[in-house]
Amino acid sequence: MIILWVLLGSVIGISAMVAVNAWLGLNTPARLTGLDDAIARLDTDSVGFEAGEGVVAPDGKSALVTDAAQSRLALLVARGSDFVIRYLEPGQVRSVATDGTDIALKLNDFTFAPAHLAFETPDQARDWAGRLEALQG
Amino acid sequence: MEAPAFVENFDPVWIAIPFFVLSVFGEMLFSRLTGKARFEARDSAASLMMGLGNTVSGVIFGGVIGLWAVFVYEHRLTTISFAWWAWILAFVLDDFLYYWSHRWAHTVRWFWADHVVHHSSQHYNLTTALRQPWLSPLTLKFLWLGSTLIFLGFHPAMVAFVGSLNLIYQFWIHTEAIRKMPAWFEAVMNTPSHHRVHHATNPLYLDRNYAGVFIIWDKMFGTFQPELDDEPCRYGIVKNLGTYNPVKISFHEWWGILKDMASAKNPKDALMYLLAPPGWSPDGSRATSTQILARWKARQAGEGDVPDAAE
Repeated sequence: MIILWVLLGSVIGISAMVAVNAWLGLNTPARLTGLDDAIARLDTDSVGFEAGEGVVAPDGKSALVTDAAQSRLALLVARGSDFVIRYLEPGQVRSVATDGTDIALKLNDFTFAPAHLAFETPDQARDWAGRLEALQG
Repeated sequence: MEAPAFVENFDPVWIAIPFFVLSVFGEMLFSRLTGKARFEARDSAASLMMGLGNTVSGVIFGGVIGLWAVFVYEHRLTTISFAWWAWILAFVLDDFLYYWSHRWAHTVRWFWADHVVHHSSQHYNLTTALRQPWLSPLTLKFLWLGSTLIFLGFHPAMVAFVGSLNLIYQFWIHTEAIRKMPAWFEAVMNTPSHHRVHHATNPLYLDRNYAGVFIIWDKMFGTFQPELDDEPCRYGIVKNLGTYNPVKISFHEWWGILKDMASAKNPKDALMYLLAPPGWSPDGSRATSTQILARWKARQAGEGDVPDAAE
């Protein structure tokens, strides 16, 4: 019985801490300032990453950068106040759905929640969707 | 030997929980007022749920571990009393064993599958301290490392008690709110600064500062790295998780090991996927911490910017 009270208390305590956390507005959403910012983050994340061409979402929430040295595509996606990075190789993309200037991307990686990537134009979205589709498996 | 009643019926961690909660509120307020600590509500929620799950896991698996402890104590080498010096000795020896357990938790993927949970946040605040694994008994470390002091003759209740004190000590060092403690304290004790390094993914900081309470173990065994002003910590793991789902956080590395072992070309590779350092792969397509550091140092040397060597 005591353990149930402890669990109930814990749930209330956790809810209160998360609510205060959100209420205080402590989160600063992660945003890329440009392609140089994205490349700098990749260079920090993967020592020796050689960036090729790339694109940053107009909202700064994501970026795709080709690897000049290997046949892979670097993906940066904002998750809360940080970025999550994946280096996509053949077989790692599950699905790519293009809708105007947006791409809905799913990876064969259950630790990576589905991502929405935004682009300047539908042509740009289609171009990068094609590159992502080439990595499907 | 009978344990004193206060040891048998008292777990310091339960007493410390209200202090933990108040401290988290305090750190959030500090963050709001100064901007010197980073929070993300979903990340905090995940960490706190991991902490709750760890408590539930402890209740579920506690019986088995307790029975094992009693069995080992019945076959102990000698009997050590509850004298004051035994408490001090147990606390220090427990911290020494913690150092090695923690070091192997980072260098053996089987153990890392459990411990990675604690490192999986890209934030470093007091809620991160509570981000704890659910499946620790699967490492089987309780069979040997966790029972060493009991086998030597320390009462299981005393070992559990000092282990709890060790955990409580480690709570407060998970913060960016405290920059440095006094020099004498930094020299001997684990501190927020030392432990920030431990949680950082900067190549220079990978697999450093394994200490629980006393940083002297890292200095003795060559794994100490001070926090450098020109190398700000980036927290998380080498391949950060893109999810706040506690179940996925809890199971992801165990699943990764199973997948790798199932796809291994021979039994030796399968075993290496389990026992080699995280990042090991037969074709070298992944990188271990040692390899990441070597690459980084090679580049720094090429740029004429040689880093301060780890002590």
